[in-house]
Amino acid sequence: MRRRSVGQTLMAVIIGAMITIPFFLPGEQWVNLVSLILIWALFAIGFDLVFGVTGMLSFGHAALLGSGGYALTVLTLSYQVGFLPALLAAALMGALLAFCMGLFALRVSGLFFALLTLALAQMMYILASNKLRALTGGVDGIPGVPRPDLFGINFYDNRNYYAFIVVVFLIGLAVMALLRVSPFGRALRAVQANDTRASQLGHNVHALRQSAFVVSGVYAGISGGLLASLMFYISPQMLHWATSGDVMIMTVLGGKGTLLGPILGVAVFELLKEELSQVTQYWYGILGLIFILATIFLRNGIAGLFHGRDDQDQGGVS
Amino acid sequence: MSTLIIGLSLSFLLFLLSAGLTLIFGMLGVINFAHGALYMLGAYVSFQIVQITGSFWLGLLFAPLIVAALGALIEVVALKRVYSHDHIFQLLLTFGLILVIDDATKLIWGLDYKQVPTPELLAPPVALFGSQVPSYRLFVIGFGALVSLGLFLLLDRSKWGMIIRAASSDADMARTLGIDVNKVRTGVFALGSFLAALGGAITAPLVPIELGMGFSVIIDCFVVVIIGGLGNIRGAIFASLLLGMTRAAGYTYATEWVELLTFALLIGTLMFRPEGLFSYKGRSA
Repeated sequence: MRRRSVGQTLMAVIIGAMITIPFFLPGEQWVNLVSLILIWALFAIGFDLVFGVTGMLSFGHAALLGSGGYALTVLTLSYQVGFLPALLAAALMGALLAFCMGLFALRVSGLFFALLTLALAQMMYILASNKLRALTGGVDGIPGVPRPDLFGINFYDNRNYYAFIVVVFLIGLAVMALLRVSPFGRALRAVQANDTRASQLGHNVHALRQSAFVVSGVYAGISGGLLASLMFYISPQMLHWATSGDVMIMTVLGGKGTLLGPILGVAVFELLKEELSQVTQYWYGILGLIFILATIFLRNGIAGLFHGRDDQDQGGVS
Repeated sequence: MSTLIIGLSLSFLLFLLSAGLTLIFGMLGVINFAHGALYMLGAYVSFQIVQITGSFWLGLLFAPLIVAALGALIEVVALKRVYSHDHIFQLLLTFGLILVIDDATKLIWGLDYKQVPTPELLAPPVALFGSQVPSYRLFVIGFGALVSLGLFLLLDRSKWGMIIRAASSDADMARTLGIDVNKVRTGVFALGSFLAALGGAITAPLVPIELGMGFSVIIDCFVVVIIGGLGNIRGAIFASLLLGMTRAAGYTYATEWVELLTFALLIGTLMFRPEGLFSYKGRSA
């Protein structure tokens, strides 16, 4: 128990340092990298509520991320909606799509859930690339996604936008931390551990799964909006299956079922990508190899290293 | 008529692939995400063999064998180590394999499209019921039927099939009876890889060979196994026919909507029979 809390603290310190240091470093390289890491981390902790806490492997989170990105882009560019209301709409869009996907995908359980969410997300990808061209700009995407317009601060300066991302990220992290220790979070864990028993105890398992998926959709929607704004650009690529794969790899690398693990996973993923892609164009394959090794030898990911053991398979650590 | 031929040839290809997927799931409890990647590899390897030897038939024969050997290697080196983990880790591992196989393919063959010429013997179209039908499509149907029959005989009538069925229904009991279950698992994964690569080698003359071909096909296979019921070979036959014919009809009558028809079929099935069209018990994998 003591060892675990030491590990927790250590992880928190590392993440705190990662967030703080770019403020003091000259140049924009670190600001940009950590901006990307924090947005993806927000996406990943939302994903982990479904994957690590509730025990459902969603392979369709790219669709949720993309729906948020497009909601923000279309609302700000075509309907001149302000940035914050549009970001709120992105969150709602993610939640709505998650709800709709859940209607179908939750009819099956276990591994089938992964296949179905994948198929549904692929459908959204095809829709965004072809049929909804008028709305999404087709495969060319939409350039010129705006930054926030608040308090007269110039968010087109990457440092200022970084501060905005940090604030949103910390709020998201705090809410998730509360959710995970709340009765709701405990019920989700019960569903993962044994859904029959959870239902015998009076939990509405289906409603719990659906809610977890919707909350996850909120996180994905916000991340999608922030990401489009960071890049000034959105394309159906955001809905591609590789996006779902990336967030899954990040979460597993970092440690599923833990609050801080996925954040570290994202950081390691992005750092590896940054370094490897300078050396070789086959960085994705190398990352795949690292990921395979992690599934064999490091089931609890990086967080498992901090907790000092690798025997807890059910995401019981927080 | 040509719609029917195209539909049937599509159906048999889908069946070869989903049979491999289903077989692996039934025996190992693993949903092999890398199945599409192995299919792609089958196409590339057969392309390479055709390049070297000039013979399509040698490619059709050896590409699946080479990929099957690779499959066995993957099972022994990697997959074997995660059987004791939670089921999700096996799926994760095979997803990692996609990334590795894709990039290895990129490294070896590059990014540009490859083409395998239709074998001369099957190049000319034949007249059938008053319309011109590409004879290669007919070959695909015949060959697919033959392989399916062979697979059925292997699983249902042979001693090996009995061992596979025994080991998948109760591994511990099979072990007690002196069956080396580990070897059976390796063999089944190799057989599934063989079928995937065979599908790839047959498809090679029909489509441009490219990196994305593996993933689009795996989605179709997943749709087949969800509709047909995973681990259910007979269900896979019907679901393959259903999807193949629907897509072929789509190409003829509503070209723009073909991609979406697959998903319409999937959603329709889930609305009315979430347990799959051919499943008798509730599913929990």
